[in-house]
Amino acid sequence: MNLFLQQLLNGVIIGSTYAVIAIGFALVFTVLRVINFAHPDIFMVGMFGGLLCATYVTSNFLVVAIASALSAGFVGLALERAVLRPLRGRDTLMTLIATLGVGIMLENGVAALISPDVVAFPAVISRQPIDLGAVSISRPQMVNLLVSLGSLAIVSYYVRLTAYGRATRAVAERPDVAAAFGVNVDRVSQVAVVLASMLAGCAALSVGLLYGNAWAFIGLAYGIKGFICILVAGNRYFEGVILVALALGILEALITGYLSSTYRDAIAFLLLIAVLYVRPNGLFGSYTA
Amino acid sequence: MTPLLSVSDIHVAYKAVPALSGVSIELFEGEILVILGANGAGKTTIIKSIVGLTDIQRGGISLRMNGSSHDLRKLKTHEIHRLGVTWVPEGRQLWGTMTVMDNLRMGGFAADPAETVQRIEEMMDWFPRLRERQHQLAGSLSGGEQQMVALARALIARPKLVLMDELSLGLAPLVVAEVFQLVKKVNALGVSVLLVEQNARQALRIATRAYLLEVGCVVESGLAAELATKRSVQDIFLGGHS
Amino acid sequence: MFGQWESLVIFTLLNVMLTVGVYVTAMSGQLSLATAAIAGLGGYAAAILTRNFGWPFVPAVLAGAVVGGCVGALIAAVTLRMRDFVLKLTTLAFGEMIAVVAFNIDYIGGANSFTGIPAYTSFWSCLIAVGIATYLAWRFDGSRQGFAARAVRDDVVAAAAAGISVLRVRVVTFALGAAICGAAGALQAHYMLIVSPQELGFFASLNFIIFLLFGGMYVLWGAMLGATVLTILPELMRFTTAYRAVLLGLIITVVVLFRPQGLIARVPTGVPRFFSRGKRATRPRSQ
Repeated sequence: MNLFLQQLLNGVIIGSTYAVIAIGFALVFTVLRVINFAHPDIFMVGMFGGLLCATYVTSNFLVVAIASALSAGFVGLALERAVLRPLRGRDTLMTLIATLGVGIMLENGVAALISPDVVAFPAVISRQPIDLGAVSISRPQMVNLLVSLGSLAIVSYYVRLTAYGRATRAVAERPDVAAAFGVNVDRVSQVAVVLASMLAGCAALSVGLLYGNAWAFIGLAYGIKGFICILVAGNRYFEGVILVALALGILEALITGYLSSTYRDAIAFLLLIAVLYVRPNGLFGSYTA
Repeated sequence: MTPLLSVSDIHVAYKAVPALSGVSIELFEGEILVILGANGAGKTTIIKSIVGLTDIQRGGISLRMNGSSHDLRKLKTHEIHRLGVTWVPEGRQLWGTMTVMDNLRMGGFAADPAETVQRIEEMMDWFPRLRERQHQLAGSLSGGEQQMVALARALIARPKLVLMDELSLGLAPLVVAEVFQLVKKVNALGVSVLLVEQNARQALRIATRAYLLEVGCVVESGLAAELATKRSVQDIFLGGHS
Repeated sequence: MFGQWESLVIFTLLNVMLTVGVYVTAMSGQLSLATAAIAGLGGYAAAILTRNFGWPFVPAVLAGAVVGGCVGALIAAVTLRMRDFVLKLTTLAFGEMIAVVAFNIDYIGGANSFTGIPAYTSFWSCLIAVGIATYLAWRFDGSRQGFAARAVRDDVVAAAAAGISVLRVRVVTFALGAAICGAAGALQAHYMLIVSPQELGFFASLNFIIFLLFGGMYVLWGAMLGATVLTILPELMRFTTAYRAVLLGLIITVVVLFRPQGLIARVPTGVPRFFSRGKRATRPRSQ
């Protein structure tokens, strides 16, 4: 039973990390109707932003967190202006490739400037575990969970309860009509991308702390899982993406714990194919349906 | 008298296919202007050009608002809205995943929040059924109810000019009559209306002036009453001449 | 014959062949992200036959093609109801699954790769293979099936309404393209003398999509040009490895930004619809 609960907790933590990345994708995906292949690399930039801050400036957690968020947010902003906006309205495949090009630049740029190998992440918070009785959770895991849940709460609040968030949903569903009622679609898109990027930066920091390392090419693995979550959930409801991500994390953790870890990565893909075969628009449907 | 809205000789084409070829239209303040035409004549294209959602190859559109003339070709869609122009799109185009209330709130996105709250109240007095359904998802309403939401949404921001595209599409005849009466009521409050329609009979009854569009060109124009008696209009829309 | 340039030449030929395979599959609108995996499977199949069963070279390569074709047909059948983007990601998923499985099967060496493959591939065999593949693609392009494929690509509903069997078109084009990839994979296996599961993944497959889009996705020799340029270019750049990649990324981004149709463009027969927002009567104005 203990193993089960522990794996469950692990699963929730992993799942919540997937969720924050997926939410960032989903935000851009629904509002701009494009896949931003550079998003996982923006995640990675946030990770290194935090790492550099912790190594050369200060170990204060809050400052490091802000550094992560800002570095990722800045890259997101630049990306939106230079690449996403000019390509708006064109074939989404083009945006895909262009953001991929940017992703390649970011990965290899960081690899060249810092290191192409895995780099140790400074311990900004102690790794002491907290004993919760049946299970134990380390501080970095706790932080991870809090950051993930916090980010999700922020996005949910933004999208559902603020006027601008409402406008964002309006743009996602019918951009022309939204514009015709005074919504500056460019501005909304920009905010969405920057928000998604900053959240990714924070998530990256907590992941870096959790595993104790950072890698220039880490974007790929998380990116694919994030994609899968959006596709399986459909782009209609943000909350759907969160659920799918958590479920995926739990599924992976349970299978790793009870069976073996060799086929862990294949699970996500199997899930994708199975769900999309039955419901091509995702579990919760999509706007274009 | 200078027109409120002046569309001058616009040419709009989609790749190689022309949609509008040299269309000129004038709308004067306080009137209900109707543009008639069959499917594909270019009616929706005119509205989309005015609102800035479609590229114009040649020609100009200007709006006279607050004492000065604005070149609409130079403005973005959301800026055009802020001049006092709203849109009731073809097929309603509500935000189906949002509630009726949220749809109405979005109508007042660019306006003062307190005023918006007040206006929403007013709209719900005009359309009692909206009050009943205010927390329902807009996508679950019937065609007629959706049309009311779309109309109400366009009135929240106290516009000076409302562009209406095919109000009667997909609605039962009784509902159509109701809707057109509402348009008259709106106009009586001083709001200018540009109404694009296939349903000529009902539209001409409430219109001040009208244009007839055929395959991207204006073929008739004048006072609504005159147009209703013209052969061309009767032949195409009113089922033959009497 | 080419001295130190031989491996570059062969790689270029192989990349061109693989890109031709992707081009054929893409003719019906299915952009496959499983290319590397399919090629890998072709490579494994051919290598098993030559190393373990002593088969001669050409039949082994053909076997690789057959394996590729079957997998391609399967993927096409499963993804029949999926559109555009969802389709692409499902092909990716297939590719990744194949990679993971390959990683874990010991018969083919698992993580330690499949080695000891006889060195059969030469410049001439590659050239001939590329020639055959190009010829097949070219004839298919101009044939009625090619036309049907493009119709399906541009508008599935309209094509179906015109009596075209979408299932058959998709399966045939995917199978044909995948067969070419399988054969290329077999050739590669007998040049590199090794097939490793790491090479089967998504990133490798993505390379070919980039070649295709960079060179121009609607014209056959545009795709070939894209593959050639993007294989040779990084080799010619004599900077350190990392910056070379950065420059490559920059080139890709800039080309897409300023010439979105790719290097060689031809106006498509319709408006390709990836995530269209519904029909617009006229061209949307840039805001």
